[in-house]
Amino acid sequence: MKYYVKIALFFVVFIAIGSILAALILFNKKHPDTAKVKPDFVLTATVLQKDFENNETAASSKYINKILEVTGTIVSVTAADSTNTNISLKTGNEMSSVICTFHKLADTSRFIPGNEISLRGECSGFLMDVLLNNCSIIIKKE
Amino acid sequence: MKRFSVLFFLLFVVTAINAQKYMTKNGYIGFFSHTAMEDIKGDNNQVASVLDITTGELVFQVLIKSFHFDRALMEEHFNENYMESDKFPKSSFKGKITNLSSIDFSKSGIYDVSVDGDLTIRDATNKITTKGQIEVKNGELTATSKFNISPEDYKISIPSVVKDKINKNLEVTVTMKYAPVAGK
Repeated sequence: MKYYVKIALFFVVFIAIGSILAALILFNKKHPDTAKVKPDFVLTATVLQKDFENNETAASSKYINKILEVTGTIVSVTAADSTNTNISLKTGNEMSSVICTFHKLADTSRFIPGNEISLRGECSGFLMDVLLNNCSIIIKKE
Repeated sequence: MKRFSVLFFLLFVVTAINAQKYMTKNGYIGFFSHTAMEDIKGDNNQVASVLDITTGELVFQVLIKSFHFDRALMEEHFNENYMESDKFPKSSFKGKITNLSSIDFSKSGIYDVSVDGDLTIRDATNKITTKGQIEVKNGELTATSKFNISPEDYKISIPSVVKDKINKNLEVTVTMKYAPVAGK
């Protein structure tokens, strides 16, 4: 009898600890590290912006919440505040770009308008420009 | 010679009239909720806004998914449960500076402003009146404002389980750096 009680007790404690751990893991869930996650799409800033411009609804379904790896020419670098930096990429439309927000960009001086870069970010959607968040710079290995 | 001067003057006037719009696509809007249980802060650095200094018209557009929270789970709850951002992806403000005549946009300085307008969050629109400041410096305008909004006014229902974690009043902070839009 006592042996079975011991086993039952063991399982109850095991499930309790498991639940607490699961809750803690969920609570401390981190934003995906876009530098390490495999992108859902690899494309140029021009193609991405064009897709949204041609059909915002279809592009929204296709790209929003996905990880995009985008290559493009830098139009501007804006220090949003002490920790955030916005880099805008050139597209086929002068009035519309791809704006990428980096939450922690160490050395912004190396990003100069006219340079081509590759970055990865989560697509949030489209206002006047395509908006990417949680961005990381991708350094391509030659 | 006289004809040229008149033409030049006219062109200048026309260009001056056209170059009265200021714009930004990197504006900041953040909101903050403080309770004894928890502090919640969301930051959006991709706010788009246009200010027409001749009419005082002011328009903001915000993508809900662009709000960043330190805790990923909080960001998920914000988007999926409270804002339903797949259903209501954008929020906007359309209004006017009501004391336009007291601002001299050609003179550097800090001016107090009063703004009236319609704020739309999810599918609810409310008239709001706020106060802020515009700093005129080197041809650029920096607009700042701090005001409170209530989630209740925008049909954002807060489940009783977390009622103590979210303040009934959210403090909204706006910081926008406008640059003139080139006249055509």
